[in-house]
Amino acid sequence: MNILLLLIPLSLVLIGVAIWVFVWAVRRGQFDDLDTPALDILREDEHDRPLQAPDPPPGHADAD
Amino acid sequence: MPAPGCFHCGEALPEPPARLVLDGEPREFCCSGCAAAAQWIRDARLDDYYRLRSQPASRVGTDNPDLAAWDREELLAGHARDVMLGGTRGREITVLSDGMHCAACAWLIDRALQRDPGVLETSANAVTGRIRIAWDPQRAPLSRLLARLAALGYRPYLAAGEERERERRRERNRALLRIGLAGLGAMQAMMFAEALYLDTRGEMPLPTRDFFRWITFMVSTPVVFWAGWPFIAGAWRELRLRRPGMDTLVAGSTLLAYFASVAGTVRGSEHVWYDAAVMFVFLLLVARQLEQRARGIASAQVDALARARPAFATRERSDGSRESVPVSAIAVGDIACVAVGEPVPADGVLLDGEARFEEALLTGESSAVRKRAGDPVYAGTACREHAARLRVTGVGSDTRLAQLVRLVEQAQAHRPALARSSERIASRFVAGLAVAALLVYFGWRLHDPARAFEVTLALLVISCPCALSLAVPAALAAAHGALARLGVLAVQPEALERLAETTDVVFDKTGTLGDGRPRLQSVDRLQGLDAAQALRIAMALERDSGHPLALAFVDAADDAPVATSLRAVAGQGIEGMVEGEHWRLGQAGFAAGVADDGGLWLGGARGRARFTVAEGERQDARAAIAALRQEGLIVHLSSGDGDAAVRRFAAELGIDHAHARQSPTDKLAYARALQADGRVVAMVGDGLNDAPVLAGADVSLAIGDGAALAQRAADLVLGGRSLMRVPDAIAVARRTRRIVRQNLGWATAYNLLALPLAAAGLVTPWLAALGMALSSLVVTANSLRLARMRAR
Repeated sequence: MNILLLLIPLSLVLIGVAIWVFVWAVRRGQFDDLDTPALDILREDEHDRPLQAPDPPPGHADAD
Repeated sequence: MPAPGCFHCGEALPEPPARLVLDGEPREFCCSGCAAAAQWIRDARLDDYYRLRSQPASRVGTDNPDLAAWDREELLAGHARDVMLGGTRGREITVLSDGMHCAACAWLIDRALQRDPGVLETSANAVTGRIRIAWDPQRAPLSRLLARLAALGYRPYLAAGEERERERRRERNRALLRIGLAGLGAMQAMMFAEALYLDTRGEMPLPTRDFFRWITFMVSTPVVFWAGWPFIAGAWRELRLRRPGMDTLVAGSTLLAYFASVAGTVRGSEHVWYDAAVMFVFLLLVARQLEQRARGIASAQVDALARARPAFATRERSDGSRESVPVSAIAVGDIACVAVGEPVPADGVLLDGEARFEEALLTGESSAVRKRAGDPVYAGTACREHAARLRVTGVGSDTRLAQLVRLVEQAQAHRPALARSSERIASRFVAGLAVAALLVYFGWRLHDPARAFEVTLALLVISCPCALSLAVPAALAAAHGALARLGVLAVQPEALERLAETTDVVFDKTGTLGDGRPRLQSVDRLQGLDAAQALRIAMALERDSGHPLALAFVDAADDAPVATSLRAVAGQGIEGMVEGEHWRLGQAGFAAGVADDGGLWLGGARGRARFTVAEGERQDARAAIAALRQEGLIVHLSSGDGDAAVRRFAAELGIDHAHARQSPTDKLAYARALQADGRVVAMVGDGLNDAPVLAGADVSLAIGDGAALAQRAADLVLGGRSLMRVPDAIAVARRTRRIVRQNLGWATAYNLLALPLAAAGLVTPWLAALGMALSSLVVTANSLRLARMRAR
């Protein structure tokens, strides 16, 4: 049963790590937005198409 | 795919529509703003937006808001904070927008903003309608970024302030952390408890057993006290107010299981119940979070938009030049200028000429009201057709708008209290349990003093009202989920309970049962021309007038000639040439030279005709009212409109109790009178004029496309335009009540069975664990049946 003396502290360390990771993720805002990242995989790949910097929308140039 | 409406926003197309060829496909748009937005989205290679979206965008329109004010330091000082991102100093601000309809909108906003080199970080949230932007003021002025948003149809509003926004995020993160910690801790504590449970024959050496118990104690302590803090704090509050309720029950049973276990660990007695305590905290946190999230989504949006106000107003200096100042700087006696389409910043008196103001926010009347110099103009109304100047007579809390808001708050405070059944049961249960525990303790003291403490603890723990305290939150969480899927957002916590009790439903007319769009009822008093000719001419005149009545004539005739030299005469009507003849359409005196009778007249050299135009009913108004009747509810109609219109409407929809010309105060009095008869009143409305009665009724539902303040006063907000959501929501509420009762019944039955066993000292750890888990499971599974409810 002496193995318990190693295994149980080990499990406590693991849960400590899990909690730390969770806290880190929450603090970094990983759970802030759960909807839009899912859309990213649905769009076509960027490198298949030429990337061009768009002009500002017409009609609003005065605000620039 | 040729869409019936505007390619970008889906609204009806004008004649002629704006046209644009995108990627070889001709597209039609309702306005040049939408066309420009679509062109920009394509050029930015973001046209995946059109594939990803599940809702049409909002109309961009052609009026460019002046956003220069957003760069002013006095605004930024209160609403933005300094941040350091990736080595760059920048600022961060949270703005609100009402145009975000689905996740694709948030996606588009993020991508569109990140194209700008001055943007450091963005996050848009379609659920709460908030957009957080971190930018580098050196490289990009905020107004440029916001102009981009506005050009895509997302007009920015000022959020309540940086401090409150940060507090909101902190709150949410703390709730998430609590759940995370409770989940992980509960898992671990269960694992250790399992080891103890599996030792069925008591072969485990005592030191090992105690080692396990102390470890479990270490793991569960933060769960009970940190993750479970909301319950403990709530219980403390309830006890201080001497109104023990749900939180008392929850905190009581958690702390009981926890301290009983601590006592068991120290004394080396037979049982510990750490696992029960932590599981309980975790499950209840999840249930509560689900319910609060559903409500939070609703209130975040509603509250924010109700508070969004024009941040700046234009003030005229004494030398006639104009300056843009924060609304708070406007004082009584100043001269304020209001551009077309902008909201009036303060109450005032119109200075010169004539102007029209849309007072829908105050009166619910959607057509603009004509004002002459010297007439009062109210804050929150919108200026139409002409720019106006006014001398300010009331600011801040003195405005009509602020008075209405106060009326709402008063009505909310004086709402009749329906006793909450769950709280009543909870406090009775606590009292009963305390008595039972005392009796058992003294009974065992006489019988077998050595076991008295232990048996009493076992009794308290086994009857630990897990199931009882889960009964209500689990059902509420499932019900809020079902409501959200139906498109109904419950804002107030007690909304469901009140809705289930409803006996009478009072509807507003304009914008609620009616759709706010004028419809042609009849053509009469014809002279010199027949009905079809009259309609053709009227349609030609109205088509390009941009007049609100134009909607009534959209489908009036198959083909209409083109009207030329059209001229709108403010407050009178329009005139123009149709097929070589001169015609006028509008008030009787203007168009036909007869006495004004409230009808819409067409007149010319050849003849004249009168049209009757009335508001049409919402598509499913009839079906919704029939469904409400079927549920045994009495339907009332209470409207600010004239007698004839209301009576016609009521007759068409089959409503017996109809009341016309009701002011906001009359409506409130009507609801109060019904309540005095012991009826439970649900009010359905949309305008700000309904806000007081919405707040004063037992339960209120606001239409999703109505005024923001009305939604803030309401308990539930109906998303979309469908009135069928009203009977649907009532059905969900009634079903919820039934399920809560079943849950409570089951929990009581379980306790009735478990208590005698525990009192007799027959409870083994196995039985206790099984009983507790099973009773909670039954309650949860029963509640989940609610989640399956669908819209009719």
